[in-house]
Amino acid sequence: MTRKLSFSGAINEALHQEMERDETVFILGEDVAKMGGDFGITKGIWEKWPNRAYDTALSEQAILGLCNGAAVCGLKPVAELMFADFVGVCYDQLINNAAKLCYMYDGQASAQIVVRAVTGGGIRCAYHHSQCIEPWLMNIPGLVIVAPSNAYEAKGLLVGSIRNQNPVVFLEHKLLYNTKSEVPEELYDIELYKAKVVKEGSDITIVAAMTMMAFAEKAAKELEKEGISVEIINPLTIFPLDKETIVDSVAKTGRLVVVQEGPKVMGYAAELGAMVVEDIFEYLKAPLKRVTSLDVPVPFAPVQEDYVLPHYDDVIKACHEVMAF
Amino acid sequence: MALTKDRLWKVYRDMVLIRRFEEEVEKYAQNGTIPGFIHLSIGQEAAQAGVVEALKYTDYKFPDHRGHGAIVLSSPQERRKNCMSEIFAKESGINHGRGGSMHVNDLEARNMGFNGIQGSTVVTCLGTAFDSYYRKANKMEGWEADDKDLDVTAVFMGDGTLGEGTCHESLNMAATWNLPIIYCLINNHYAISTHYTESHPQQQLSTWGKGYEVPSFTVDGNDIEAVIEITEQAAERARKGEGPTLIEFMTYRWQGHFSGDPAAYRPDGELEAWQAKCPLLQTKKKLMEVHGYSEEELDALHAEVEEEIQGYVKFSLESPSPKAEDAMKFVYMDREVEGR
Ligand SMILES: Cc1ncc(C[n+]2csc(CCOP(=O)(O)OP(=O)(O)O)c2C)c(N)n1
Ligand SMILES: [Mg+2]
Repeated sequence: MTRKLSFSGAINEALHQEMERDETVFILGEDVAKMGGDFGITKGIWEKWPNRAYDTALSEQAILGLCNGAAVCGLKPVAELMFADFVGVCYDQLINNAAKLCYMYDGQASAQIVVRAVTGGGIRCAYHHSQCIEPWLMNIPGLVIVAPSNAYEAKGLLVGSIRNQNPVVFLEHKLLYNTKSEVPEELYDIELYKAKVVKEGSDITIVAAMTMMAFAEKAAKELEKEGISVEIINPLTIFPLDKETIVDSVAKTGRLVVVQEGPKVMGYAAELGAMVVEDIFEYLKAPLKRVTSLDVPVPFAPVQEDYVLPHYDDVIKACHEVMAF
Repeated sequence: MALTKDRLWKVYRDMVLIRRFEEEVEKYAQNGTIPGFIHLSIGQEAAQAGVVEALKYTDYKFPDHRGHGAIVLSSPQERRKNCMSEIFAKESGINHGRGGSMHVNDLEARNMGFNGIQGSTVVTCLGTAFDSYYRKANKMEGWEADDKDLDVTAVFMGDGTLGEGTCHESLNMAATWNLPIIYCLINNHYAISTHYTESHPQQQLSTWGKGYEVPSFTVDGNDIEAVIEITEQAAERARKGEGPTLIEFMTYRWQGHFSGDPAAYRPDGELEAWQAKCPLLQTKKKLMEVHGYSEEELDALHAEVEEEIQGYVKFSLESPSPKAEDAMKFVYMDREVEGR
């Protein structure tokens, strides 16, 4: 049975249900146990399983280190990074340890861990609590980055991430926590490494993730009225990217617009652009357009943050430009 | 506590094995057969052999970059030659030549390998220690009995590495949760060229542990009996769930930081003074003077180790290189990565 559930409720439910099913899954992080997390995502777990929910010191390196070691022994840790920006503090454990363990252990063991990281801007929290960190991690073979855009995806992808044998950074956009969608009550998982064709179309491919999906969907409706048919793709797994689905779509439409919340330089949009130029140059009818944040830290003052983050109007403008080319 | 005659004999043999292993590795590093960086542990054999001796096969060991000794002794006899051929970058290497000197691991023997980033394993080891702690707390299969011992984790770290924040996060967390960890702090006085008193305010680094309320000790790291005694006590506490211990083993590396470093930063006479405190010589003396072993018996031991080591070397030299395209394996557990 399905019913409407919030994005945060869906993540909470995924944790409860998967922990019920698998006793090797546990959670740890700052304030995740007794308080149920800063954003309330892990509520009720400690009450149910006091020995499977751990409040830690402010020690992100120790948290991630513990995850890596415990995973090699067969446990399945789910750690919370209160803000994805804190990846910087435990970067080494992610890129030099988690991402390398499978390689180092010759495939005999790996860091089957999930790092839930609260990401993205829009809450007026300035440059240390608002960043999109996926490009910081996309150059690291061995890592997986997952980014749901609604409650249904959040539940299924979190379960898929916990069951995935590699280290997964699970991005939770804070602006999505209160958004609702239809979510099945039963436990289910969504396969990683597969992009979703959210809507089929023939003129332009828009690739967007997390909150940017709302821009893409709105733009598709608006452009439809002008007779422009948009295909929307949500990568869901941002790294490694589902090249086939994306490239196939762009080969069909001949036009690619990527809407990405983070700064433009070396964002994942750049990789998508390189992919299509390298693989299907002859199919392209227009240059790639990237709608992104400006290349500055995320500022605090609301007028400034709004100025810097991607603008919906720019999505429409980009689409018009690729059509007019 | 003096070791029994037989046990002292056994660990003396272990130390001789390390010494000869390292000397051969150095020879083949110097002549270019072994690629990459090599960090030798000559002079520090007692701390490695003693810690491994005090542990069980099923205890977790995290050797550090200067860890060939702990590595080779952790593996059972039949896989020791593969530890050496790993350093030679060969297919027969215990990790098929994927890691080399710094990353030799043997999961079956619970040698968890080293991560080339100093201090990194000092937090990873929280996880192996946490594993049995968690299984016991949740009465998971095989862990139902209240009196079941925890698996101990021993992590090696140098005096320089203690400057990494990870070491402090780890001590704090392990002490708070009483995790079964032995922090084996190998104080060989130098981090590359920097003397430990130039980078830490303390004269003895074990004092770091006190702030975390971790029982902390400084012992002569060249006295194998002292090493085994203190490590066994720490292991016993850890197994019973009484928490971590920090042990500072005072010792000295005879070579430079890496094979080829002339170590010009050391004052004249320092090396010679430490060579006089050679852990092998000290133990040999005890074996002869206290336990009555003869020169001939010791010669026979040396000859036996020599034959063993020459076997490893021959095996390493004769083993083929791994296939180049195998570099693409095991990036992910469940998906392939495209090769050339
Ligand atoms: C994070 C990090 N910083 C620096 C290095 C380079 N490095 C490797 S070993 C070493 C010195 C380590 O000294 P110590 O911990 O005392 O161990 P020792 O070499 O004396 O055995 C340094 C600086 C490194 N590998 N990782
Ligand atoms: Mg040192």
